[in-house]
Amino acid sequence: MKAMSRLVCLLLGLQLAFTSVATEEKYPFENAQQRSLFMELSKELRCPKCQNQNLADSDAMIAADLKRKVHELVLAGNDKDQVISYMKQRYGDFVYYQPPVNSMTIWLWLLPALFIVLALAALVMSRKKVSVSLDAQQQQKINELLERDK
Amino acid sequence: MKKYILFLLPLVAFVGLLVFLYQGLFSDPRAHKSSLLEHTMPAFSLPDLMQTERQYSAEVFNGKVTLLNVWGVWCITCAIELPYLTQLQQEGKHIVGLYYDQDIDPDFGIKTVSRVQQEVTQKLSQLGNPYAFNIFDVKRDLSLDLGVTGAPETFLIDQHGRIRLHHIGDLNPRVWKNKFEVLYQELVAEQ
Amino acid sequence: MLAELGNLALVMALLMSLLLAIYPMWGAYKEHPQLMAMAKPLAIGMFVFTAFAYGCLTQSFLNDDFTVAYVANTSNSTLPIYYKITAVWGGHEGSFLLWVMIFSIWTVAVALFSKAIPIKMVARVLAILGAVGCGFYLFMLLTSNPFERLLPFFPIDGRDLNPLLQDFGMIIHPPMLYMGYVGFSVAFAFALAALISGQLDSTWARWSRPWTLAAWSFLTVGVALGSWWAYYELGWGGWWFWDPVENAAFMPWLAGTALVHSLAVTEKRKVFKAWTVLLAIAAFSLSLLGTFLVRSGILVSVHSFASDPSRGLFILGLLVIIIGGSLALFAWRGSLLRGSGRYELMSREVLLMGNNVFLTAATLVVLLGTLLPLVHKEIGLGSISIGAPFFDQMFTFLIVPFVFFMGLGPLSRWKNQNPQALYKQLLLAFGLSLSAALLINFNFEQMSYMAVLGILLSGWIVVTTVLEVLQRIEPLRLNNHLSLTQSLQKLSPSHWGMVSGHLGFAVTLIGISLVSAYGIESNVRMAIGDKAEVQGYEFVLNSVTEAQGPNYTAEHAEFEVFKQGGLVTQLVAEKRFYPVQRNSMTEAGIDSGITRDLFVAIGEQLENGDWAIRIYVKPFINWIWAGAFIMAFGGLLSICDRRYRMAKLASNPELMPELAGARQ
Repeated sequence: MKAMSRLVCLLLGLQLAFTSVATEEKYPFENAQQRSLFMELSKELRCPKCQNQNLADSDAMIAADLKRKVHELVLAGNDKDQVISYMKQRYGDFVYYQPPVNSMTIWLWLLPALFIVLALAALVMSRKKVSVSLDAQQQQKINELLERDK
Repeated sequence: MKKYILFLLPLVAFVGLLVFLYQGLFSDPRAHKSSLLEHTMPAFSLPDLMQTERQYSAEVFNGKVTLLNVWGVWCITCAIELPYLTQLQQEGKHIVGLYYDQDIDPDFGIKTVSRVQQEVTQKLSQLGNPYAFNIFDVKRDLSLDLGVTGAPETFLIDQHGRIRLHHIGDLNPRVWKNKFEVLYQELVAEQ
Repeated sequence: MLAELGNLALVMALLMSLLLAIYPMWGAYKEHPQLMAMAKPLAIGMFVFTAFAYGCLTQSFLNDDFTVAYVANTSNSTLPIYYKITAVWGGHEGSFLLWVMIFSIWTVAVALFSKAIPIKMVARVLAILGAVGCGFYLFMLLTSNPFERLLPFFPIDGRDLNPLLQDFGMIIHPPMLYMGYVGFSVAFAFALAALISGQLDSTWARWSRPWTLAAWSFLTVGVALGSWWAYYELGWGGWWFWDPVENAAFMPWLAGTALVHSLAVTEKRKVFKAWTVLLAIAAFSLSLLGTFLVRSGILVSVHSFASDPSRGLFILGLLVIIIGGSLALFAWRGSLLRGSGRYELMSREVLLMGNNVFLTAATLVVLLGTLLPLVHKEIGLGSISIGAPFFDQMFTFLIVPFVFFMGLGPLSRWKNQNPQALYKQLLLAFGLSLSAALLINFNFEQMSYMAVLGILLSGWIVVTTVLEVLQRIEPLRLNNHLSLTQSLQKLSPSHWGMVSGHLGFAVTLIGISLVSAYGIESNVRMAIGDKAEVQGYEFVLNSVTEAQGPNYTAEHAEFEVFKQGGLVTQLVAEKRFYPVQRNSMTEAGIDSGITRDLFVAIGEQLENGDWAIRIYVKPFINWIWAGAFIMAFGGLLSICDRRYRMAKLASNPELMPELAGARQ
């Protein structure tokens, strides 16, 4: 399998992925898990003062402050939920791009699900059976006509 | 009949949506409630801006209704509200400054503390000094704990050191009258 | 003088649209041919006056006429000439003029190219467009007039165009997007005309299909260009942010995609008529809702125009009349639209509509995600944010059944498909796409399940699409003894349109999956001469110098990128400062390729003189936009189909399956 994938790798001209950074990172970490957790958090936390940007994208001072805090918290060994609840305590639910689940926001999931179930049910129920009185030849003719253009 | 209800559904949904769109037009999309209301001031230990050897902690807010004003000399709106804050102070309100400077920064700071003190003194002598004292939020940790998003912002803190109001933006006569006055008088009366 | 002429032309255009809304509609009601015939000249008049007004505003920009408030706000004498032309749509008022300009183009196009359609239908369609136009001309003249003067005190120079908009993407993105947005007004007008006339057959679906496809193609390109522009111009390497304004363009696209497919079913099989009408209303309504969201300042977004409640209120009023009115009409007449075709559970009808259900659910997800924060706050529950984590999760759930049906639909027959006959093909498609997904993903160090899923789905689309083409040409090859290429040529343009649309979607999906899973982002500090190694590429910062542009100053950084010792490319990234707007901008350095983009952007200078640098390696990112262009090309191919150009085709008994014996 390994040889096979090497082959495909050559064929597609793809690159085996690895990252090593010779220069100093702006936010240094002890390991890759911490780094990716930090990346994830800085994308999912919202800059409270900006128009609509996450921490990673924003150059605002508050975003830099929050990123530094996230960095600090991640280095201190906090997991994702802990960092998020730390931020929510200070900046409210607003700071996290995933909405909390409550009696109002539950509709974000319920309504589309309900729509899919009801609409599919309606689609199945409303179909009208093809009458069987056509002979094979007629049926063939109709199919041909229908396939003529999409 | 059942059929008509189904066909009416999109219209009903749209009318419902309209109500909120209409309300939304008249509210500020950025205004949001602070999540620290009714909490006591977070613990901190920070120096005085002018005499950095002097340290403050959260206990400094006990026993007195306080207006905590977040500001900095680099902030233009802060300069606009300084004269009004001074007027409030002259009316007998206890105002404390929470000072932070974006140029003193672990990442990209270039300013020294004495330089900042000099600028602050100059600014306050120009526009009025409403502050009983200024807490120097060196690394903006307290600001972060308070959910501050920028400057200027003002907190109303009661005599037990609890946060009762968090205002984002400048403080002016209109804001004072609509948002602060009643609660402030209540808190003072309790005292 | 020019501004006054422009203003007058707008008033004239308003007048034209008003007459267009009244006369032909009345004529159609009274069966009065002269009144109905007035539709065409009035539509032409509306277009000519709007184009004249547009020309006046453009000329005011070229003349640096800063007595015109809008010019003073969005232009500057130092602005390069090509940006002066595009600055016409660089702010609220002018972009709205572009909006009505494009609206009048669609209207006049309908007036000119509808010879094959009965005059009564055309009269009604144009009258509805006139009524819609009336509202928008009024809006512009009363709340957002681009010709307002700043007399007697006017500035010596203008406040300049927002630097973000001084860019090539800005030249093409808004016109394309508006062509799409506004183009759905035609589908909307056809659907309403059908409701008003009570015409119960589905000929209107055939007439409106090419218009809908055209609008959809433009919107596809417009949205893709917007995404591409954000990627290279905003400097953070993202290509989609689920920002309310992006969502505002995405919702009509989703509804429009559903509409394009549902129109096909309604046209061919005379079923789901009411649903198709509702989708046509929805697509345009969502465009209008988008206009409202962007221009009323109701939501916090990076893109929104300066807010003004009076404008918001006016557009809201228009929404009430246009959307409310059409939905009321739908509630009243909709139940008259009854389908006549018959089909089994396993048939192309059901599969296509099943997909419509998922597309509509996706629209619903975006609509809820965009507006629920507003509702949440208004009822006193506090502020929340709904962004990427929510939408990504929901779309992952939706796309799996969607793509499954998408592969199944074209392979199945209309009316009735024997499920057993499909098993072998589906098994083959699944096997092939799964192996492709695994093989491609083995090349990346940490295999991502989401990327495997993405490639699996894309592969499924590609394989089923190819199988479908083979299945379609099989009888041609067997019965008529044609060679492969000959039989491929026999397929209609609209068939190729479908193939291209579906393959384009697969290409976009590949791009999204790979870049989301394997994109590398690295924030580093670099001094001159430093090397940073990211995913096998070695980025060297060679120099940072001061540079001077026509209306900005810049810090100009030059990079060289090496791979295994060999020079790959040289990149230039700038951080520009525009003194007139006191605004800074990052201009990223990007080396684009088919399998990867290399992206560098410079940030602030740090205390020790180092630079904060963002380095991104984005695999397959260009596939996202390439796929969108392939999809749009598919839309255009379908329009070219001969049956839309044939006058009497709709009444040709041979092509009406019901007349040929299917009607019982």
